[in-house]
Amino acid sequence: MAGTVIGAGLSIEGDITSDEEVVVQGNLRGKLTSTDAVSIGPGGVVQADVAGQSVSIAGQVTGDVTAPERVDIQAGGRLVGDVKAARFTIADGASFKGAVDMEV
Amino acid sequence: MSQSSVIGAGTTVHGSIAGEGSLEIFGRVEGDVEMSGDVSVADGGAVRGNVSAKKISVHGAVQGDLRGSEAVLLERGARVVGDLIAPRIGIGNGALVRGSVRTEGEPSPSPNKRPAPAAFKPTAFAAKPVAKAEPKLAPAPPPAPPAPVEDEDEDEAEDVDDDVVAQPALAAAAPARPKDVERRPPPPVLPSLGKGAKGKKKGQG
Repeated sequence: MAGTVIGAGLSIEGDITSDEEVVVQGNLRGKLTSTDAVSIGPGGVVQADVAGQSVSIAGQVTGDVTAPERVDIQAGGRLVGDVKAARFTIADGASFKGAVDMEV
Repeated sequence: MSQSSVIGAGTTVHGSIAGEGSLEIFGRVEGDVEMSGDVSVADGGAVRGNVSAKKISVHGAVQGDLRGSEAVLLERGARVVGDLIAPRIGIGNGALVRGSVRTEGEPSPSPNKRPAPAAFKPTAFAAKPVAKAEPKLAPAPPPAPPAPVEDEDEDEAEDVDDDVVAQPALAAAAPARPKDVERRPPPPVLPSLGKGAKGKKKGQG
């Protein structure tokens, strides 16, 4: 099973904590923390600080993103917030506004 | 846009969840859940908050009210502390519930409905006594035969021997008419007094 899926059409206001994969295709406002991978789908709209082992963003995220492994902003993805990760990629066509801390 | 959502077993949500489509909860939700589609709380899943959806099926634990616009179904292993409100409610064998169960769509009509039956009942009871009173009056005419006997008693009170003969006739009629029983006790007493009175009279005479 694919862990947790916040489907399109679903809205959550509050905190989500998880130790498994989390996929957000709906709306989330609050805070998202996982010890596994986190991915924001193309239709996902997140206004929250996001923390995960790795974070993939194809939707819209407003908030700080933290990942010990990596953060990837996919094409079409949009991130407004600071990024703290060991690896960080911004795909062609992605938009990003914020500071980057790669723990150098 | 109605897509299925899943709260995984290792996931906890603190806050409210609302939206379209169906939702399966394997993990933990602390807050209200409001879905236009179906909500399923799986075995091991837990919700602390009110859940409203089209159809709610519970295998896990819920602390809060379950409000289904279509149905609320509690399966084996379900533990619910809260009210169940839905047009269709199913509680399976092995499911635990603590709360009130109402099989209705809207919760508001319930307080209005409860007083209504209470108001009808008194009128129904009041009507019954009246109906019973009439039958009692109706049988009254039949006892007509005994009535002449009573008249005879008054006449016979003068003659002691006739009274004794009349008594068995009244006793036979007694079981048939309760009203007659009430009237009869006096006659038996009168003869004895009559005997004494006559005896005294004789003695005096």
